[in-house]
Amino acid sequence: MGMFDAINNAGSGLVVYRKWLDAVSDNVSNINDVSPTSGPAFQARYVVAQAQDYGNAGGAKVGGIELGSAEGRLVYQPDNPLADKDGNVRVPDIDLADQMGQLIIAQRAYQANLSVVQRAQDAYQAALGLGK
Amino acid sequence: MIPPISAIGALPVPQVAAPAAATATPGVDFGGLVSNSLQQLQDLQSTSDNLAVKAATGDLTDIHDYMIASNEASVATSLTVAVRNKAVDAFNEIMRMQM
Repeated sequence: MGMFDAINNAGSGLVVYRKWLDAVSDNVSNINDVSPTSGPAFQARYVVAQAQDYGNAGGAKVGGIELGSAEGRLVYQPDNPLADKDGNVRVPDIDLADQMGQLIIAQRAYQANLSVVQRAQDAYQAALGLGK
Repeated sequence: MIPPISAIGALPVPQVAAPAAATATPGVDFGGLVSNSLQQLQDLQSTSDNLAVKAATGDLTDIHDYMIASNEASVATSLTVAVRNKAVDAFNEIMRMQM
């Protein structure tokens, strides 16, 4: 493109942080999942942000998704229908406070990218006003 | 000592460049420039239109994609209109020239 590189790069950042928000939302929604000890626990998803085209057009991308522990935590819940003979169930090893921190990071970064789009557009509009 | 005033020599005659040479110079001509930027504008508009259709049908995954595309199309349209206005102004200025 060339003309709108600033806006397009910010757009790629917006995609990354939208996915980050999706991951946090998935983790928080599954925070109270219960699974039997024979199977894996729900694994938290962590977004890995990476440079898209370093040194050229620029921009960010989701380089991959890291999964949290499948082992989770063993919790003694003998009343749970999924409990094994010792009365244990497996719950995901997700820290809600950590997820809230991730949520703030993703939200603020999304807003920062939106401001870049806004400022770039304001700058271009101001340039169009030259000589009027 | 003041040097004596010398006689006026032959005045240099302004050289008018041959019109053939002017048109033969390679480079981007104005028409090509305009048609290129119009093509780019057309591309931006169609991207924006496709995303608008996606938004209406619920296939849009990223809200900001449409907003960015429509803003880019709007800025590019303003730029094209500004260039066109400048070109028309310049043409009118030349047409008003006293002969």
